[in-house]
Formats: sequence, structure tokens, C-alpha cells
Amino acid sequence: MLLEVRDLHVEFHTRDGVAKAVNGVSYGVDAGETLAVLGESGSGKSVTAQTVMGILDIPPGRVTAGEILFEGRDLLKLKEEERRKVRGAEMAMIFQDALSSLNPVLTVGAQLAEMFTVHRGMSRKDAHAKAVELMDRVRIPAAGERVKQYPHQFSGGMRQRIMIAMAMALEPKLIIADEPTTALDVTVQAQVMDLLAELQRELHMGLILITHDLGVVADVADKIAVMYAGRIVETAPVHDIYKAPAHPYTRGLLESIPRLDQKGQELYAIKGLPPNLTRIPPGCAFHPRCPMARDVCRTDVPPLYDVTESDAGRGSACHFWRECLHG
Amino acid sequence: MGRYVVRRLLQMIPVFIGATLLIFLMVNVMGDPIAGLCGDRECDPATAAQLRHEFGLDQPVWQQYATYMGNVFTGDFGTAFNGQPVTELMGTAFPVTIRLTIVAILFEIIVGIVLGVVTGLRRGRPVDTGVLLLTLVVISVPTFVTGLLLQLLLGVKWGWIDPAVSSEAAFGELIVPGLVLASVSLAYVTRLTRTSIAENRRSDYVRTAIAKGLPRHRVITRHLLRNSLIPVVTFIGTDIGALMGGAIVTERIFNIHGVGYQLYQGILRQNTQTVVGFVTVLVLVFLVANLVVDLLYAVLDPRIRYA
Amino acid sequence: MPDQEPYEPERAVAGTGMGGTMDLGASEAVTLEQPPGPDGADPREKPRSLWSDAWHDLRRNPVFIISALVILFLIVISLWPSLIASGSPLKCDLAKAQEGSQPGHPFGFNGQGCDVYTRTVYGARTSVAVGILATLGVAVLGSVLGGLAGFFGGAGDAVLSRITDIFFAIPVVLGGLVLLSVITSNTVWPVIGFIVLLGWPQISRIARGSVITAKQNDYVQAARALGASNSRLLLRHIAPNAVAPVIVVATIALGTYISLEATLSFLGVGLKPPSVSWGIDISSAAPYVRNAPHALLWPSGALAITVLAFIMLGDAVRDALDPKLR
Repeated sequence: MLLEVRDLHVEFHTRDGVAKAVNGVSYGVDAGETLAVLGESGSGKSVTAQTVMGILDIPPGRVTAGEILFEGRDLLKLKEEERRKVRGAEMAMIFQDALSSLNPVLTVGAQLAEMFTVHRGMSRKDAHAKAVELMDRVRIPAAGERVKQYPHQFSGGMRQRIMIAMAMALEPKLIIADEPTTALDVTVQAQVMDLLAELQRELHMGLILITHDLGVVADVADKIAVMYAGRIVETAPVHDIYKAPAHPYTRGLLESIPRLDQKGQELYAIKGLPPNLTRIPPGCAFHPRCPMARDVCRTDVPPLYDVTESDAGRGSACHFWRECLHG
Repeated sequence: MGRYVVRRLLQMIPVFIGATLLIFLMVNVMGDPIAGLCGDRECDPATAAQLRHEFGLDQPVWQQYATYMGNVFTGDFGTAFNGQPVTELMGTAFPVTIRLTIVAILFEIIVGIVLGVVTGLRRGRPVDTGVLLLTLVVISVPTFVTGLLLQLLLGVKWGWIDPAVSSEAAFGELIVPGLVLASVSLAYVTRLTRTSIAENRRSDYVRTAIAKGLPRHRVITRHLLRNSLIPVVTFIGTDIGALMGGAIVTERIFNIHGVGYQLYQGILRQNTQTVVGFVTVLVLVFLVANLVVDLLYAVLDPRIRYA
Repeated sequence: MPDQEPYEPERAVAGTGMGGTMDLGASEAVTLEQPPGPDGADPREKPRSLWSDAWHDLRRNPVFIISALVILFLIVISLWPSLIASGSPLKCDLAKAQEGSQPGHPFGFNGQGCDVYTRTVYGARTSVAVGILATLGVAVLGSVLGGLAGFFGGAGDAVLSRITDIFFAIPVVLGGLVLLSVITSNTVWPVIGFIVLLGWPQISRIARGSVITAKQNDYVQAARALGASNSRLLLRHIAPNAVAPVIVVATIALGTYISLEATLSFLGVGLKPPSVSWGIDISSAAPYVRNAPHALLWPSGALAITVLAFIMLGDAVRDALDPKLR
């Protein structure tokens, strides 16, 4: 495994108490593999990713337990300086909003070149040439001139390409993309996603794709982890989950996608709201919203059951996964 | 950029005319401009009438204003109560006040920004709370009280400084008066820097910079500071005019013979020419400082340059 | 490819705009998922309005409680100074000039032999009256002018903006010296009038900015589309949402107005003896500070505490109303 997260717990100290954002998440990704992490706002998918990257705000955040093994090394045990050298060089992150994620007062060229001067000790001139090369590679027209421009002078899609170029700069082994296309126009989304997938294949990188968009997932992901209230509720190879979800939450998500063949029918919506992370319901966190909830769900936290029936690597954190899978 | 400068220069004209006219009216309508001209005696009616005619005071106010401004643009600011040309007074007063302002601005830049950065990066820690409280106290205590207290402590009680500044008013003598003049703005600069740093620290681009694996000092100096200091620079720039105009109190306390001193004398003796002359220059300084700040803003923030 | 996102101006210091509108509170970018930070905990469970939320915070804020108590105390003693000071502030005995603390006269005597304690107590009245009345005047004039200019825009707005520019170009203390040096009336009214005259542009600018921000809100547009009249739009939909920054700035300004009155009185153009004002007392104590520092320190301390109380109150209110900075 390139990256293996084991039983990660992250808390936030807030005015209203301790918010348990991540409660025992384990997942892994191999080189060349794409893991899609799915979930609503507050499910802990971004916090987990930020913890892996080491960019969590501490305080108010705090890692209370777990391991993050990157090529066998536990990143949580590294010194800050060693950790810093991993960031950007070995693993990189792409954020949702490229406009706010790029520094408004520096040219994109300077922001790209910085990767090479800081991590590789290159001269400014060489780094600048590298920046132009990178912009070419993510197919930004007239890269030689646009390298001197500022982020606000680019369109949304072009800016996200620059973010991707920045992440790819040092050919890292792992890329974490946090909703990389959410802020973009629908027409541009596919282009950016294709570019990302292409570069990933080319460089044989591991990719963690954080999203709430099941449509994106189906095209590019190898496997899926669905998160709810800071836990993984279902994990499976991508085609399996579309065929038959093994958790009522996943099923709810799938059923809430509009589909052409169900034209005219009422769209399904999961009732209720995600829980307040300072007061996660006891038992299965999803039970107040679950159509299948029974007494045991209110008291016992379901473990991630092995639901492998056909092929390897499926898990569901539902006491009644069998019912869900076959019903 | 060029068009912008022209537009701004054109916008300055009505403000300049308005502000000087306002002061001109205040001085003329409210007081008797020739009352001070006969020295301490009351002018006899005949002399008064003659003087009025001589200075054009029997003309409508707007005409007087036009004449005065016409003269000003040929370099003639009129005569002060003691018969000296106002320009001569300015020649001695402005260098002193400019030195005082430079000292004050240096305090704002060095102490204000350093304190602001330190507290902004350590929000909620004891240093932050302490400095924050201190700035509130400094803002709350009127400048003249701060001045008198520092004079009492450093000058009278401990004898570290001379309670009054000599007529040369060298930089060394102006350190404490400069600090007094800067005090309130210094507190504002600290708070502004702190807020700006704290706000930008949570910004997405700082998070990106950290995710890029940049060393902490580089994240702070290259990414955080550059953005955070934009509002601070503009504040300090606009403060130049305010400091020079606000030096009256400080100069009075430390007996500094600068712009504030001359203005105070001019007002007490109701000498129109001195007061309007000095205020005209101050308004110009204020407007030019603002223009420079706006241009600086465009240099610091590329989004404005091309917007 | 054209830029799609509108450029959002940085929050700028008042008076340094690039000719465009400078709104006080720049709109906050909302990301789809944020770590549950301090303020995002549970907006769903207990929906609270801005004001009740602010009040909820203020009641627990020791800074607010202390400054509010100090201000309450100041208001009470400025209405009924005889509650805590039995003598008259004008009864002076030159024989006792510059004497220190003694029984019945805890703060000693000043250069004219007046009881410093009594004068300090009576001085509160001037400061509180000037502060509150001037702030009311400035707030009413400034928010009406600025609010209307921001709402209607057009030529009136442009003219008002230039007028505020003119006032900003005149140093306040200087304006006070010029205007007040020739006034012989010995009441608080000229000082109040002067502060209102020079202070309204500050509030007007804030009110204008926040009305423009509020005007762009979808619900205001919706109300307009439904045919709401201008006056209804302004009073029912815009004013309640634009008033918060005005209140915050006005509260802080109140403290600075008190400070300004004292400064003008110190320079000899605000109130003049026999009026009782901390500024006058500090000014008259300054020449013989070597022998009788107490005559300077007590009124200075009272002045500083009063200004501090109002500024801290404003600060606390701002923090409560501006959750972004928590």
C-alpha cells in the first residue's frame, strides 16, 4: 500500500464542546489507484484528507488516535520539518476553490516556480522555465506569456489547471483532490477531471478523490469509501456499489441522483440532516435518518462488517447489511 | 494606470477647493481678521476701514477666496501677524513637523506592525490578550493626557528627557513627542495588522502554501505578510496627513515650534493668512498622501491594477 | 476564456478606496465543507437572530459587563453628582491651593484651591453629556444622509461622497480650534454642534456602505420585485440589516468624542472656566504638575476610564455582531 490510514480519530475543540470530526477511519490507496471518498458536508472526508496532508489547524483540531502510513512510515510520528518535506514533494493536494487557494498577489509563475526553488533548490531561472513547462503540460495556451499573470486573470477552469500543475510539479506519489471540480462550470468539469485522470495514469500516482458527486466517481474511481459522521459506513469496488449498495445511507445517496429512466417520478431524498458532531447519536450515527433502523441500531455501534460475497474488499457498517444488499 | 491617476487628480480638485473654502469661511465669518493686525490694541475705526480695503476685506467672501487662492498659486501666502511672510513661517515650521511626523510614522511601522504580526500569529494567547488590552488603553487615553504623563514621568520625575524641545528640534529630541503623536495610530496599526494577519492566516491560499511544503517562515513572509499588510500600508499612508494636522496638541505640550504651534498662534491672534495658508498646505499634503496610497494599493494588489 | 468569478475587493480602510464602493463587511466565501470550527457548530438546532445571538454572547463577556457597569455609574453620577459629592465644584479656597489629600478631600486641591474630588465627580456630567448628545446627533444625521445616498445612488450620492471627502481632509482638532476659538458661549452646545458638524461624514460613509451591501441581498431584491415601496424597503428590509455597523462605530466614536471635548477644552477652545470639565482641569493643572501632580492625575484617570469604558463597550459589541472574527 502506498498510503494506509488506520483507525484515525480527529477532534475539534469548539465553544459548544468537542466535535468528533473523524472517528476511526481506515482506508488505503495503492500507486496508480483511485479511491473516491464520498459524503455530505461534515462527514469528515475533508478533515481526514487534511490530516493526511498535515495541514490540519492545530488547535482547534487534534489527532487523538490512529496511524497514517505512507510507504510504511507513520507520518504522525515524523518531526514537523520532515513532514514538511513530504508535503508538496511526495504528496500534494488540489483544493476546491482555485481562486481563493492561489495567492492573489503573486503571479501564477512565481507560485509554480516556488515548488522547485524550495524543494529542489533550483535557481529562479530554471524554476521559471519549469513553471512554463508545467503550464504547457496542463494545456494552458500561451503558457510563456500567461506565466506572468495573476490568478484573477484566468478563468475558473484554467485556474484549476494551474492548481493541478502545482500539485504535479514534483511528480508526487499521492494526490489528494478535495472536490476539484465542484466550483467549476459543468462543461469544464469533465475536461479538468479528464486531465487529472490522464496525469495520474501517466505518473502512476495514487489518487484520493474527495467528492459528493456520485457521477464523477463512476467514471474515474477504482474503489469507494462512503463516510458519515466521521466514520466509513461502506467501502467497495466502484461497480459493486452501483449495482447493490450494502448500507442504507449509500442507497439513499444513489437514489437521490436524478436518472433519465425514472423521469416523472419523485426524487428520493434522505430525510433529516447530518448530525451535530458535538452530539453524535449513540449506536449507529445514521439511525435517526435510517428507514431500516431498529432498536439495536440505537444502542450498538455497527462494526465495518466484511460483506465480501462475490469478490474481495467490501465492507458495510450496517447491522442489517444483508437486508440492504438483497432487499 | 495613467488614466486612473488623471481621474484621481481631477477628483482632488473639488475636495481641495471645498476644504480650503470651508476653512477660509470658518476663519473669515467667525472671526475678525483685522482684529489682530493692530497688535494688542483695538484698531480705531478709520484704520480698520483702511485695512479692510487694503486686504480686500470689503469684497464678497468668494472673491476674497479667489484672490487669496490666486496669490497662493503664485507662491504668495500673505503676511503673518508679526509682519513676516507666511511662507517664511512655513519654512521654519514645516521641517520641524515633518521630522516629528517621520518619527511617528517610524514608530507606527516598526512597533505597530511587529506587535500586530506577533499577536495575529498568536491569537488568544496571553501575549495577544495583553497587547490587545494595552492598545485599548492607549486608544482610550487622549493624546494630551499621554503626552502630559510621559512628560511628567520621563521629563520631570526621572529626568530622562528635556520636558521642552529646543528650537532646533533635532530627531533625538523628538523621539518621545513622536511616540506621543503616534500613540493612538500605533495602537490602530497594531490592531489592524493583527486582524488582517489573523484573517489571512485562515485563508485558502495560506493553506495551499502549507500544503506545498513551504517552510513556515516562507509561508509567513512571502504569502501571509504580503497580503495582510495591504490595508496596513494604506492606513499608515492616510495617517501622514492626519498626523501633521494633529500635531497641534503634541507640539503644544512639548513646546515644539512646528506647524501646530504656528497654527495655534495664528488662531489665537485671528490671523487669517497664517491659518488659511498652513491649512491649505496641510490639505494638500493629505490629498497627495491619499493619492500616493491609492497608487501604492494598485502596486501591492494586482487585482486592482487590471480590474 | 473569460473570467467567470467576479472580483471581490479586499476589505479596505475607510478613505482609501479606489473610487469604487468599499463595503465594510466583505461577503464571506462559504465552502461546502469546513472543519466544524468554533462558529459552525450548530446553526441548525437553535436558530438565533444576529441580535439575540449577539446578546447571548455579550451577557457572558466580562469586558462588556464591566464597561457597561462603569458607564451606568457615570450616567448616574452625571445626573445626580450630589449622590457622592457633597460640596460645590466652584467653591475654591486659594489658601488651600495645591494641597494634597486630607480628610474630607481625598483627592486634594488644585491650583485654585478647588476640591479635586468634587470637580472630578462633576466633570463626568460634561463628558457624558457631550459624548451621548454628540453621538446621537452624528448617528442620526450621518445614517440618514448616508443611508439615503446609498439607497438612491445617483447624483445625490456622488455629491455627498465628495462632501464627505472634503470633511475628511480637514484635521478635526484644527477645525475645532478655528470654529470654536471665536465662540463665547460657555455651554456644551457649541462643542456638540462642532462634533456633529465634523463627525457625521464618518457615520455617513459606514451607513452608505452597509445600505449598499444590504440592498444587494436577494430578499431585498425579492421584496422590490413584489412591489414594496422605497420607504418600506428602506425601513423594513434594509435598515435592520444595515444598522449594526453604524451602532458599533457610533459606540466607539462616543468615546473618542469625549476625548475630543477634553482635548478642545485643554487647548482652551472647548468649554471654558467656570465650566467644569476634565479637559479644563487637566489643562490648568499642567503648569504646576511638579508640585501637585494629583490635580492632573485624578481628572486624567477619570477621563481615561470613561473613554476606555465606551471604547471597550463598542469593541465588545463589534465582536458580538461580527462572528467572522471570533
